[in-house]
Amino acid sequence: MRDTVDPDFASFVDARQGRWLRTAYLVYGDLRRAEELLLHAFTQLSVRWARVDDPDAFVQRLLYQPALRPWNRAKPFPDDEDPIRAALAELTPAQRTVFVLLHFEELTEFEVSDLLGMSQTAVHANGMSAFGRFRTALGAGDWRDAR
Amino acid sequence: MRREDVRPLLLQATDLLSEPDLADAAWAAGLVVNRRRRRLTALSVIAVIALAVVASILIGTGTRGRADITPPPTPPGYIESSGKISGIDFWVAPPPGSERFLDRLETPLGDRLDLPHKVRPLAKHTLHNIAAVLLVKHGDRYAPLLLGADGSWVQADVGLAPVDNGPPLSPGAISPDGHVAAFPQPGALVTVDATTAQIARFPLPGGDYLSVSWVADGRWALVGGRDATYQVLVGEGGYGEDPVFRVAATRDPNEATSPFRIQTGAVMRYMFNGQWMEDNPLTLPVRSWQGQTFSSITGAARVFVSETLPQVPTRVSQPQVVAAISTLSTMPSRLLVLGEPQDSPPTQEGAGDRPFVREVGCCAVLGWYDDNNVLFRVRGWVLAWNLDSGRVRRVTELGVDQVALGPGLRP
Repeated sequence: MRDTVDPDFASFVDARQGRWLRTAYLVYGDLRRAEELLLHAFTQLSVRWARVDDPDAFVQRLLYQPALRPWNRAKPFPDDEDPIRAALAELTPAQRTVFVLLHFEELTEFEVSDLLGMSQTAVHANGMSAFGRFRTALGAGDWRDAR
Repeated sequence: MRREDVRPLLLQATDLLSEPDLADAAWAAGLVVNRRRRRLTALSVIAVIALAVVASILIGTGTRGRADITPPPTPPGYIESSGKISGIDFWVAPPPGSERFLDRLETPLGDRLDLPHKVRPLAKHTLHNIAAVLLVKHGDRYAPLLLGADGSWVQADVGLAPVDNGPPLSPGAISPDGHVAAFPQPGALVTVDATTAQIARFPLPGGDYLSVSWVADGRWALVGGRDATYQVLVGEGGYGEDPVFRVAATRDPNEATSPFRIQTGAVMRYMFNGQWMEDNPLTLPVRSWQGQTFSSITGAARVFVSETLPQVPTRVSQPQVVAAISTLSTMPSRLLVLGEPQDSPPTQEGAGDRPFVREVGCCAVLGWYDDNNVLFRVRGWVLAWNLDSGRVRRVTELGVDQVALGPGLRP
């Protein structure tokens, strides 16, 4: 591993860090934690930079899988009065993670299933229920009215 | 709300976030992680080695908490000596008839030593190292058959006259380097160089010569006769060296051996100038000596017929003893008593050879396999006696009357 930052690695990080920080912020509801996890994921990637086949998937797994762990129960967006963030805070961690990845990262259910190590059925169910609860929280009616 | 409306809402929720700059920080942290991993790997290797050392010490410590770091005083398979004869530890050899069941010492001689069926001429197939020499009789002459360390037999193109109405083969015929075999002849010494197929004849003052022994440098041979013993230059000589000179008289032709000869009362050292010097006094209950003395780096060995031994009673024969006398003060001498048949020999069909009495003259030392193993002949067998353990092993069954053994036996 070279002492100075690899230009390819720097380009890779520069191109993705803003988007992934926002995604992680929405998933965890905590900016500081999102930054820590993103830095940790990029650090792990730097150690294996020459050997990792799919760096996007490598970083995203490290970034989002901790959200599903049972001991990850910190309340998201504490004391936040923004209705959108408050609506996200009402979702379970799994629902929020799937919902954000589906609608913000615009991944397919198959990609989300692969990233989170979750069955496609579970991803679909979490996505539907999250969408319904999000709509309801924002006063947009029952999810079955959605098109 | 439709699904397409969700992403703008979520983007709006993250509007206020600033753009991070994590590339340098991540790379620097990666370097730290990398260094820490290397250090951890090195420490793990050291810890594993340390644990292995500690575990080996703990295993060796045993329950008393004391590591057994001193080697055992005796080698594996050690047999306790049966007592002492004239202050020297002695062992009793396996009884006659049991030789076939002894552990075997692997040599090119094989299980049984017979006259070979396939023999090549020495001129076409020279040997590097002679393991054994036999004589085959053609009319009234004898032809030497040489066994190489590779197990091949060759015949030298020379006819040897009998000496003392017997084959002219002395147990000490083979030179210390295994290259040359020497044969006593009436009025001469004949040598066969196995590496070049060269036959040489060295005339000696008249008389029959019965034994041959080699000086350790392999250039000189001692030729013993009834009337006189001569030292003969067989190899390359130095300037001014007398190629043949007479050696101080010995009582028996077989006593002309170098560098030591064991005789009644003393171990004598040959001085290479034809003279002998007493090396060590020796007190043994000797009635007569059998065969030649063979020397190794640490000792000399010869068979003697003993006076009656109270320690090893015999009923029908006189006990014979292989004496391995140490020529170093720090090492002990040892004796091996060749016993009589057991009171109740094996009775099952094929469970052993018919027991017989080891008559006087049946047994003699044939040489040393290495510094610890004396090779000796008993009736019908060549055996090896390990001085360290006291164990006797079989080397080969003898299908011939006479044999001389050389360094080619060793692997």
